[in-house]
Amino acid sequence: MSETASEDKRGENYVFSDMQENIGHIRRMLGDPADLVIRIISIGGGERSCALVFLSGLSDKAVIDEQIVRQILKAGRIGQEDSGLEISEVLGGLRNETMSVSQVLEVNLWSDVIKAVLYGDTAMFLEGADDALLVGTQNWKERSIEEPPTEALVRGPREGFTEKIETNVGLIRRGIRDMNLRFVSYTIGRRSRKTLILTYIQGIIHPGIVEEARRRLDTIDIDDAPESGFIEQWIEDSFLSPFPQLLHTERPDKVRAALLQGKAVIMLEGTPFALILPTTFVALIQSPEDYYERWMIGSLIRLLRYFAVFIALFLPSVYIALVSFHPGMIPFKLAFSIAAAREGVPFPAVIEALLMEGTLELLREAGIRLPKPIGQTIGIVGGLVIGEAAVQAGVVSPIMVIVVAITAISSFAIPSYSAGISFRMLRFATMLAAAALGLFGIILTFIMISIHLVRLKSFGMPYSTPVAPMFTSDWRDLVVRSPVTFLTRRPQFMQTKNANRASKRGKRT
Amino acid sequence: MKSFEYGDREIGTAEVFFGVSNMVIGFWILTLPRSLATITNSSDGWMSIVLGGGASLAIGWLIASLCKRFPKMGLMEMTKSVANRATANVVAMLFACYTFLFVSYETRGLANIAKLYLFDRTPEEAICLFFLLVVAYGVAGSSAALLRLNLVFLPIVLLILLLVLAMNIPFLNLNNLKPMFVTDWKDLLKGTKDTVFSFLGFEVILFYNAWINRPQKVRRAVLGGLTIPFTLYLLVFFFVIGIFGSEVTKNTLYPTAELAKQVEIPGGFFERFESIFFTIWTITLFSTTAMAFDVTIIALRSLFPKTKRITWVIALCPIAYLAAMQPQSVTELDILGKWISYAAIAIGWGIPSLLLGAAMMRGVRGNGCAS
Repeated sequence: MSETASEDKRGENYVFSDMQENIGHIRRMLGDPADLVIRIISIGGGERSCALVFLSGLSDKAVIDEQIVRQILKAGRIGQEDSGLEISEVLGGLRNETMSVSQVLEVNLWSDVIKAVLYGDTAMFLEGADDALLVGTQNWKERSIEEPPTEALVRGPREGFTEKIETNVGLIRRGIRDMNLRFVSYTIGRRSRKTLILTYIQGIIHPGIVEEARRRLDTIDIDDAPESGFIEQWIEDSFLSPFPQLLHTERPDKVRAALLQGKAVIMLEGTPFALILPTTFVALIQSPEDYYERWMIGSLIRLLRYFAVFIALFLPSVYIALVSFHPGMIPFKLAFSIAAAREGVPFPAVIEALLMEGTLELLREAGIRLPKPIGQTIGIVGGLVIGEAAVQAGVVSPIMVIVVAITAISSFAIPSYSAGISFRMLRFATMLAAAALGLFGIILTFIMISIHLVRLKSFGMPYSTPVAPMFTSDWRDLVVRSPVTFLTRRPQFMQTKNANRASKRGKRT
Repeated sequence: MKSFEYGDREIGTAEVFFGVSNMVIGFWILTLPRSLATITNSSDGWMSIVLGGGASLAIGWLIASLCKRFPKMGLMEMTKSVANRATANVVAMLFACYTFLFVSYETRGLANIAKLYLFDRTPEEAICLFFLLVVAYGVAGSSAALLRLNLVFLPIVLLILLLVLAMNIPFLNLNNLKPMFVTDWKDLLKGTKDTVFSFLGFEVILFYNAWINRPQKVRRAVLGGLTIPFTLYLLVFFFVIGIFGSEVTKNTLYPTAELAKQVEIPGGFFERFESIFFTIWTITLFSTTAMAFDVTIIALRSLFPKTKRITWVIALCPIAYLAAMQPQSVTELDILGKWISYAAIAIGWGIPSLLLGAAMMRGVRGNGCAS
């Protein structure tokens, strides 16, 4: 290789002028894989010939057959050696006249060629030319746009992101036809070379957020980022926090709403999960549906969700505290029935609670692993049968089963899946605290969680906004979701450059 | 705005307002009706509250004026620019001692009530230990975050207290308030002293002044923050006397918590509401203790700038714990509380007043002071 390359003045980093040598070189570079297709054709049936190189699984055969091969075979004069054309003119002719493909690039660096072929483009070498043409023929079998299974809504668009980043970009663009919508792309992964796109709306977002996000994205240096979760963990503020500092979603409408609030969004090739940044605690509990339904319904549902968070965190621990420390606080009649139900239970309340909560977590985990049709059955069988049998056998009391069931239902009512997991983790901490110190232990954990939340930041934004620091004007979208005609301003805590999202009294007619 | 930062070294007006309120509301509100009922006759204690509240508002005005006069300066720098370095060191040391003792006192007081209303067997030692550990966790972070925490906590505390009062309205017997104006003015003044004790604590703002971002609004924030406990004290006193009468109040250890005992939740979800009340009351006791501890550390760090915050937390926690364990009975704890309060009046109120006087006489001002 070195002998032949040394003849070329430009060195082996550049495309050679000999076509066969080029083919040999690319074969050696890729290790002559089975899916490498090399097709040599003569241009317009003349003496000049060219080679097409592509990977069969990544490229669109129809485009190559119809728009490249057929057109080249039909090309007229430029294929003849005696046409009197310079070799660069032939290349230009092929590029501008012959091929009917929208994306064609002329390059001479080997690294560009290899990269393009690995992305699914077709490289074309013309005999005698020391430039190569890269033809955009990327094609990848893609899942159709479906409703995201993890974030289903009753009312709202039925579309979700797919694994293909171009589609996802399109989904966002289709909802915000604003020329200020910006897409900054990065290549992530030393080996995987995946595309990552940072999206924001210039003129709304505070430039500091973009600056900070770009600074952190620039530091990423890994082999492969298989999922946006990798990116999330790489750029989050605190890895010790149980709370997610970037919100992930599959819903384009959620992403678009975030962009219009002055947030930024990160999308990664190969995953339907986009990351929204910065994130606040309140955002974990909000769902797009709050805005699609009328304001009273939206507000009440949201209130219900705050209640669900409270139950998911504290209900089992309150049960433990009341039963083992403050039985006097339970109303008299209920205290009797609890005592009667716990009569045969051999364990203290905390063991009972840990046992049932542990079983439930197991069931939940098993339900995900099992094949879909069986998963539900096992859920029902496991939940009902084990619960019933445990009570019958006197291992746990029926009240405990009720407590565990309500807690589980509440934790599913939280819209963000990862936030639900955070609350599940913290629930065990509060249970242990309640077992040690009763109600006092619960309030101490509450204080600690609050301290943590107030201290936590997501991309420079305090996690506990708009409560602390206080932004009273944002409270109209905190617990109560005010009527849309009142929500005329973008969130103040985002410090957006453009503050209004609706005109105060509507359009004058 | 240079970069996207909600500064950790900045304290807004709302934080000052809520911080002052939450610092003042604490242990004393539980006992204030008792001590007033012991000294004054019938319902006349309200006059003491008004007098004491008026006095603290005046001192609040003085302290806020001092803060405004020296924007972006802590007490240490203020003293340095008015007097000299040595005086500043002494002042900082005095403050550190007083706030540190205050931490121990609050911790022990909390353990006492917790024992009374929540636990029967758990020893006070354990309660103090866990509480102090949480305080240490709170203090380990930035001061700004600690002040910000008040924005979350104060509404919860106010909510539970107002709930208790609202649910007690049916038990209110206005005849208990009569007769009025039957107390000697000397006794009223004695009562005022006790009220003043319950307003102590807001002088910590002198230390936080270094990070307050809008010095021109600090006066309004401090006075506004003081009116909340002022109103609460008046309300609580009227309710306690109106419900229990003067005689019963005299003999009740924590009359305010007894108010909660009366409450019956409609629907009967819970009984013994006072346990819930006290559980939530822990939050405000925590805020008070944590801020006092924070000020101790700020004062010490201004004396020894090279030592890290976390070092102080680790070093001081065991001492605070041991100090909290010293009083052997409620009476001894009360005596400790009294002495701390005297110290607070001398250190927390006296020194700043002197400073302001000296600064005005000498015409010393902080940098960037507008007027």
